[in-house]
Amino acid sequence: MLKKIEDWNYYELLSIERTASQDEVWEAYQAALATYRDGSLAVYGLVTEAERGLILERIQEAFQTLRDPQKRKDYDLALLRHSPYVPPKAPFRKSVGKVEIEAIPPKKTLWARVRRIFSRRNSEA
Amino acid sequence: MVNLSFGAKEKMDKRIWAVGGGKGGTGKSFVAASLGLHLASLDREVVLVDADLGAPNLHTLLGVKASHPDLGDFLTNAIPSLEEAAVATPYRGLRIVKGSENILFIANLNHYKKLRFLRQLRQLKTQNVILDLGTGSSFNTLDFFLSANPGVVVVTPEPTAIENSYLFLKSCIMRVLKLYMDHYKIRDLHQKMLEQIEKNSQSLYGFFKSLMESDRSYGTILYRALRGFRPCLVMNKARDERDVLLGRSVADVARKYLLIDMKYLGAVPYDDDVHASLRGLRPFYLEHRDSAAARAIRQMSEELAYSIEFTLRTPPEIRLPDA
Repeated sequence: MLKKIEDWNYYELLSIERTASQDEVWEAYQAALATYRDGSLAVYGLVTEAERGLILERIQEAFQTLRDPQKRKDYDLALLRHSPYVPPKAPFRKSVGKVEIEAIPPKKTLWARVRRIFSRRNSEA
Repeated sequence: MVNLSFGAKEKMDKRIWAVGGGKGGTGKSFVAASLGLHLASLDREVVLVDADLGAPNLHTLLGVKASHPDLGDFLTNAIPSLEEAAVATPYRGLRIVKGSENILFIANLNHYKKLRFLRQLRQLKTQNVILDLGTGSSFNTLDFFLSANPGVVVVTPEPTAIENSYLFLKSCIMRVLKLYMDHYKIRDLHQKMLEQIEKNSQSLYGFFKSLMESDRSYGTILYRALRGFRPCLVMNKARDERDVLLGRSVADVARKYLLIDMKYLGAVPYDDDVHASLRGLRPFYLEHRDSAAARAIRQMSEELAYSIEFTLRTPPEIRLPDA
């Protein structure tokens, strides 16, 4: 979903699933700290100092909440009320420039079934 | 208009990888040549195409001398097809389309020639095509990168390389959006995008936000087009663990700030022997097959080989943008 960085929830901020374990939260927190620490090359030329400071604050906030089971439970409940959790979708393709209909089976409508019966009779005759 | 999408059959039959990135000297040709040599060593048919129109030297990395026919001969109609420019190398299964020596004439390809090149690229009689792209963000380089599936950005752990990589990715994004704007005849949005995108790191978000408010249907089309651009990242010349993690961080920052679904393929460790192999005009990958760098290349190749799954996978959070 297109969101402003300030509007990202803690899971989006740390790039983890809502089902992430405590170890995964810790690892993601360490990675996020390394990405946005002072002097980090990863943000060079793209993120301003002010933005980096802001996101670092939010990362601390996210970790403090997600590391505590009770706080995380409360946060998850609040989050669920605000935006329901949608697990990752199954693979499928969306195209914009060129509409691609890839191996989509024809719809089995009543009319298609009737037509098939007639065509079969004709071929038998 | 460059067709950015591949048909299902082409996609399954042919892999076209492009190795690019903003800065020179990051090791694009090294990665391209090593990937080609690895695939060829697995008994696969591979064609390496030196699409660095300004400074071609992929043949030198393979220890092959410049000769005709080359890409220039195809682009100047001296030979009828790109297939004829794909000449054999001393390595079984590997052919190369050498870059042109006549760079003054070739570097500024016109639109028609570019389309002909892209079309013939898909018609090459091989399953694997690897494009080695040049430095910078010219329209030709961007279009070659965008037509591959996927494009691989090679970066080194230096601020200059990272800065240029973000610029290159931004240019790709603007190119994708411009192509779709042209296609849907919404050209007036282009100037607005250029003005907005220069502002700050969250400018892309700002552009989409204002577009959603003014015209949600076009906003949705362009946002989906952007999410369809899924490049991969390689951190080359990594000297320690921090450099390896830096690649992961760069991909994460690109995902968050440039709104693209970027995949980090991994890091290639720095190796002094690369220089020695280059001086001796011998391919590093074949000379040092057991090195950590060669192992990293093999792993990346496998990741890329399964990239069809990655391409078909719906990127996370692809739900329609909010107004």
